[in-house]
Amino acid sequence: MMSPAALTRRIAPVLACVGLLAVWQVASLALKNDSFPTAIEAIRAIPDILGDKEALINILASLRRMAIGFGVAVIFSIPLGLLMGRSRAVAAFFNPLLMIIYPVPKAALMPIIMLWLGVGDITKTLVIFLGVSLPVIYHSFEGAKAVEEKMLWSGAAMGLSPLQRLVRIVLPAALPEILTGCRTGLVLALITMITSEMIARQSGAGNILFNALDMGQYDTVFAMIIIVGAMGICLDALFERVRARLVRWSEPQFDIPLSFS
Amino acid sequence: MKVLPSRSNEWVRSVTPQKPASAIIEIDRVSQVFQTSARKEHLALSEISLTIEEGAFVSILGPSGCGKSTLLYIVGGFVNPTSGAAKIKGQAITGPGPDRGPVFQEFALFPWKTVLGNVMYGPRQQGVRAAEAEAQSRALIEMVGLKGYENFYPKELSGGMKQRVALARTLAYHPEVLLMDEPFGALDAHTRTRLQNDLLNIWERDRKTVLFVTHSVDEAVFLSDKVVMMSKSPGRIRHVIDIDLPRPRRRNELLLDPRYQKYVVDIERMFDESDEFGSPS
Repeated sequence: MMSPAALTRRIAPVLACVGLLAVWQVASLALKNDSFPTAIEAIRAIPDILGDKEALINILASLRRMAIGFGVAVIFSIPLGLLMGRSRAVAAFFNPLLMIIYPVPKAALMPIIMLWLGVGDITKTLVIFLGVSLPVIYHSFEGAKAVEEKMLWSGAAMGLSPLQRLVRIVLPAALPEILTGCRTGLVLALITMITSEMIARQSGAGNILFNALDMGQYDTVFAMIIIVGAMGICLDALFERVRARLVRWSEPQFDIPLSFS
Repeated sequence: MKVLPSRSNEWVRSVTPQKPASAIIEIDRVSQVFQTSARKEHLALSEISLTIEEGAFVSILGPSGCGKSTLLYIVGGFVNPTSGAAKIKGQAITGPGPDRGPVFQEFALFPWKTVLGNVMYGPRQQGVRAAEAEAQSRALIEMVGLKGYENFYPKELSGGMKQRVALARTLAYHPEVLLMDEPFGALDAHTRTRLQNDLLNIWERDRKTVLFVTHSVDEAVFLSDKVVMMSKSPGRIRHVIDIDLPRPRRRNELLLDPRYQKYVVDIERMFDESDEFGSPS
């Protein structure tokens, strides 16, 4: 049996979704605008997209680029961020570079990258990589900087070399912060994935969306928005599960010291 | 070489002290200067010389800001002195090593490891096989009074329990010298007393050399063989007092012992006098 509070927590998100769809439905019926289909029309278009082989291939191609861009970014960014956090020289070198790149919308770099690398997978994956890297570097950096000096000293006294301390103390100690960065990165990966496909139309989920827009198939446009949104929710929920398991030791539910000296 | 007859051998043994006191740590004219701002320098330690004998429990006592922790970090190899040198067993200290085990006021446990994982960390790093390291660690955890908490994470423990884990974690890799940096400073009075008692009980079993930093006079007298008093600005050694009280020490007996009381009163008076040399506290 679920407690009433737990039940409320379960039902609340469902209610929010249903409420949103209801407002959409009513607004659409009231406005009677061709480019604003009703929620029911949009939802009806979803099976058509997911049933279409070509559309599925497009969506999977998008997801693959996203996974590669995200994966490579994480592998590259965590060590860089950790090194920056523990070495002033490394931080002094990379900080200005990152400060310049950070506020630039990564999609704005796309036309230039397209000139160099074409409109194919490499360009889009690179843009995703750029989008994901910065939050992961930033959070790894902050996490590594915050590691208690005495914890590192304790490791040094046990005979851990500087590299061992980085991998076996700084990395796990900074993991909660790193994973926060990865979570932001994951959402950014999805966003840059769609924008990259908007700029370089060739394949992908964004391609379906914007083609439908060009052809005036507004129910498909809205159906794709729902699909992309749902992918985002699922990926985030999946990631949150993995994260919660990895950093169980730092979760606040444990933050109740036992009364024993 | 001629082998001595057994009788004369016995004679030699009878006049030789059981364990000759030999210096394990030598601190030779150590000074430490900190750059507080671009132009300003702060002399934290001035020409400190001190010899610590093997198996001795030595407390460094002083007001906050007298550099007593810095001195401990220099012996630990965590901080390099601006001038002078520290030696362990005649070897210059150039960095941290498993022969000197620190216990910090902040505990500095590895929060992603359980109690057992924390205690096993050192032995595993030293190449002890997992099964053996685990058995030793479980015994140590029991010794510090945490049996049953092996699989708890540090976050689930109170301050006193965390410091017990930190002590076990350091003892686990068998350092020759324990470096304790105000280890009970963050604990409430009751917990502090209990940990002092337990530390003494543990220490009296194998009598490792302990260098213990504190600003509590009765803690220093209760635990130590020798109290080194420091004053601040700059950090200097003012007095070295031998605490000639019998061991094993029991708190309830000691508190009633006039000799203990005299040490505390005398040292407190010296403490106040030495404080006048520094800025008002």
